Amino acid sequence: MKRRKVDLKALPGKSAQEVDTRLPVATPLRGVLNKVFPDHWSFLLGEIALFSFIILLLTGTFLALFFEPSLQEVHYDGSYLPLQGVEMSRAYETALDLSFDVRGGLIMRQMHHWAALLFMAAIVVHMFRIFMTGAFRKPREINWIIGLSMFWLGFTEGFAGYSLPDDALSGTGLRIASAIMLSIPVIGSWVTTSLFGGEFPGEIILSRLYILHVFLLPLILLALVSIHVGLVFVQKHTQWPGPGRTNKNVVGERMFPRYAIKQGGFFMLVFAIIALMGGLFQINPIWLFGPYEAAVVSAGSQPDWYVMFLDGSTRLMPAWDIRFLGYNIPPLFWPTVVLPGILSVLPMAYPWIEARWKKDYASHNLLQRPRDVPDRTGLAAMAGAFYLVLTISGGNDIVADKFHISLNAMTWAGRIGLLVLPPLAYYFARRLALGLQQHDREVLAHGVETGIIKRLPDGRFVEVHQPLVAPDEHGHTDLPYVGWTVPKKMNRLGALGPAIRGFFRPIEQSAPPKQEEQPREEVTSGKP
Amino acid sequence: MTPDTPRLAAGAPKQRSRVRRRLNSALRMFAALVFAGGIYAIVAPGGAQGAAPLTPAAEAGKALYDVSCISCHGANAQGVPGRGPSLIGVGSAAVEFQVETGRMPAARQEAQAERKDPMFTNDQARQLGAFIQELGGGPQLPEGEDFASKGNIARGGQLYRINCSSCHAFSGGGGALSSGKYAPSLDLATDRQIYAAMLTGPQNMPVFGDNELDPQDKFDIIAYVQSLQTDSDPGGWGLGRFGPVTEGLAIFLVGVVALVFAALWIAGKS
Amino acid sequence: MSETNTQVRDAAGVDVANPNLTRFDIVREGARRDGVEIVHYEPQYPPGSAGERRMTRIVAFFFLLTGIMSTLFVVAFIWWPWEYELGPHASKYYTPILGLTLGLALVGVGLGVLTWGKKLLPHEIAIQERHDGPSSPEEQKLTGTTLQFIGDEMGLGRRPILKWSLLGLAPLGLAAAAIPIGALIKDPHHPDILFKTGWAGATPTNPIRLQHDDGTLVRPEMVSTGGQITVFPNIPGGSSNHYADSPTLLIHLREDDAAKLNGQLYTINQGSTWSSFVAYSKICTHAGCPASLYEQQTNRLLCPCHQSQFLITDNARPIFGPATRSLPMLPISVDKEGFLVATGDYKVPVGPAFWEKD
Repeated sequence: MKRRKVDLKALPGKSAQEVDTRLPVATPLRGVLNKVFPDHWSFLLGEIALFSFIILLLTGTFLALFFEPSLQEVHYDGSYLPLQGVEMSRAYETALDLSFDVRGGLIMRQMHHWAALLFMAAIVVHMFRIFMTGAFRKPREINWIIGLSMFWLGFTEGFAGYSLPDDALSGTGLRIASAIMLSIPVIGSWVTTSLFGGEFPGEIILSRLYILHVFLLPLILLALVSIHVGLVFVQKHTQWPGPGRTNKNVVGERMFPRYAIKQGGFFMLVFAIIALMGGLFQINPIWLFGPYEAAVVSAGSQPDWYVMFLDGSTRLMPAWDIRFLGYNIPPLFWPTVVLPGILSVLPMAYPWIEARWKKDYASHNLLQRPRDVPDRTGLAAMAGAFYLVLTISGGNDIVADKFHISLNAMTWAGRIGLLVLPPLAYYFARRLALGLQQHDREVLAHGVETGIIKRLPDGRFVEVHQPLVAPDEHGHTDLPYVGWTVPKKMNRLGALGPAIRGFFRPIEQSAPPKQEEQPREEVTSGKP
Repeated sequence: MTPDTPRLAAGAPKQRSRVRRRLNSALRMFAALVFAGGIYAIVAPGGAQGAAPLTPAAEAGKALYDVSCISCHGANAQGVPGRGPSLIGVGSAAVEFQVETGRMPAARQEAQAERKDPMFTNDQARQLGAFIQELGGGPQLPEGEDFASKGNIARGGQLYRINCSSCHAFSGGGGALSSGKYAPSLDLATDRQIYAAMLTGPQNMPVFGDNELDPQDKFDIIAYVQSLQTDSDPGGWGLGRFGPVTEGLAIFLVGVVALVFAALWIAGKS
Repeated sequence: MSETNTQVRDAAGVDVANPNLTRFDIVREGARRDGVEIVHYEPQYPPGSAGERRMTRIVAFFFLLTGIMSTLFVVAFIWWPWEYELGPHASKYYTPILGLTLGLALVGVGLGVLTWGKKLLPHEIAIQERHDGPSSPEEQKLTGTTLQFIGDEMGLGRRPILKWSLLGLAPLGLAAAAIPIGALIKDPHHPDILFKTGWAGATPTNPIRLQHDDGTLVRPEMVSTGGQITVFPNIPGGSSNHYADSPTLLIHLREDDAAKLNGQLYTINQGSTWSSFVAYSKICTHAGCPASLYEQQTNRLLCPCHQSQFLITDNARPIFGPATRSLPMLPISVDKEGFLVATGDYKVPVGPAFWEKD
């Protein structure tokens, strides 16, 4: 019996046709394959967060196979000698087992934690990029709000994860969290006892944090990540201004294969950094902290870095207690409830605030360079300084100890710095932006500095400028300011040979200036 | 003697006569002690200068004392107001601790004497200790150099966490106290130094005498502290074991910086 | 495909069935129909050139690196001693080796793939038109009218009774909210957990003894002058986290410091000290951390979480940092058998402040 010969080469085509008859995907699929993405390094910052999130899901699932969020008292008898026989909770015991008695468990724990820190770091860096370039403007306000919500969700998710192993740091953090909830006027005590199922620490809190940490929050985050990326896809990515780039198009590479390959490669690099850090840098050594006991605390008890700014604000808060009619608002309320409240609502409203402020209600697909919007850049610097002072103050005891500064002096420096540095940062960033902008405008008006000094008949020395286009009778060029890179060196104009390429070292030799271009009229037109 | 009085107060009223008798005996006892103490106070300094023989070690210690310590602590270790405290009753443990860790002789008056290279050898420090011990008595260290091997690490860890980690941190790396004072790092501390510190409570450290922590407790704690030093980190470089502060720094300096460079390369024109 | 280099022609109306078209022509036509114009397309290296061969070798090298490192990872994972040993031991290198091999393997894939994409694929610049902005007024009207019509169909406007009866469904939402809220809610005042600690049962006639964390009872002579210990109520589970607000710092002051303290006790603290012993709650009145950094010379108590500083010789009054309230003092005494006891609970609620705490 003779079988019909299978034509292997035709197989993919045939199966694709089979699929398409059932689900006509040819047109939409081609649309995806051909979708154009602009290319810039700063557009990859959000991806770091996305990829970290994927790694968090993978490593977290592994950890969940071994971890038990139980506060049941046990005696440790695992292989970590310095804790043998110590009474601890089952949660802490299983976290120790993950570190010492599960093969490869420690690196997974550490990768999970580093990925969490990277996730939050990338979110913050990405957020600054979005803010400083005006990518939050209409029509992207919703995505800005989703992004900010993800910061706070990641914040909560991270704090829940930090609290789960029930080591001394976890417990201290939870105790402070309970104090923060207690400080809310009127309902504080009810909220706290309801959440902890009674008095701190109770028996149930880890189970509740666990379901929050492994199910509820990741689910919401996953949904928001999908919407976030989906909106970028539908609304198309913003792009920098430049040749051929308008508000109505996207200039870049098609998604497949170039863009997708770059994304895939970058994912691998993010994964690699997390694996390297997870293996080479020890993080959260819970075995050194010991089990949580209400009477135990360690010097230098800090939260993870993304919570540290609230710890800092708490440390800097003056001792102001408001009491009236037998009721009281503790000082803890302002830096840990009111401040984060302001910090979440104000940035969310900012796109509309700025639209009103600048009377700009148009849709924008072109980004703005930080120098082109000095006010906003100043605000970003101000926010950055504010955040930095708070974050450093969150670790001010470590700074004080390691740099031999008085702890009380650090606190005062933080209090003063918090009021003084942000306005200074605003001023200097704004001046810097204006200065850079001014320089660009000068180049557009007069040309590039050549480095050639000429002595005028009256004895003055002037530098000769190379205009970018033929100048008018006053030696001025009238080029429009478009908010994009302006050539500032002669070799950018091709006058001194091409700019030397290469990242750390030149990958090519600079070509000698072409001889025949020597008699160019470049110097005669010069005017200071 | 002081504990006696409250116990009286707690006594039931019907026992008054016995209470009175006890009170009387206590008063008599007190008077006798005051008398004896007074005699000692008059006689003792003279004795130390001349008749009472010092052991050879103490003699050597006295020679060192007269050169290096006398200007702040006085000729008979009675202290000099504004310069140095009295050393009567501090015991050899305190002397050994202060001298071996280089804190004494102090470079200058400041919030807290710092650990520095010691001026004397350990033998000289012990000679000084012997001198002060024979002069005024006080807590002494047990014999031997190796206390860590006598202790139980796990029990020491528990004691360390409840008694020590609040100032010296979970890692023994030390921490800040108020207004420029600090709890020092335990990295360089020897067994005897840790023991002496607990026993004498140098500077702002609380005293952990043999009543709070018996010698075995101290051996346990020393065993744990030294195991912190010898037990290398299983998870890679410990980042100084400072906790989340250096971890946060690392994620930015290493993680974010590396990936931003990667992004620059990926999106760079080439 | 190099001959197509930058030849931009208006491809409108290309007949895809035309057998003379190259594959790239068809791709470009597909892109055009998606609103994408490929304006620049140029191989980085001439096919078969030395540069291309070098790049190919680099990519291959990276993939080889991944192969080697992954193999090393698996070998180390299985054979490297991994079980914990105290002190310097090969097992301490287990995690770093795994991280290094796994990391380098992933670096290999990443750099290999990226070099492939960046160096071996042709350069391209494509331009896609955006079609954002509002829908056409006609579309808006069509959809808007459809929505309005749905409203008409439901007929709420015409049937007011229906509108009001819908309000009657509101309790369903309440019912849905009632379950989680009702189940979670816990009254903080019944039982009165916020104002009471593990010492609550203590009275002058029926005091509670002080104990160490291991349960041994505390006598005055167990605390040296200038020393401190953490004590717990001697009740079942007194040292456990179940009584998280009961840990207390027992301090033996020097005589002169004790005199200073006793001379300026708050009315509420009168009679709470015993001899030169004083017991303060270890739970910071600011955020609840154990405020336990006792400086025996300056008589300050520092909280390591937010650096509040309390003056022990003045009722543990806060003198620096964000704390506003003194640490509560536990009334202590000594019983007939010479053990230290608490003769009552704290007079004010322990730990962080809250709304109902005056």
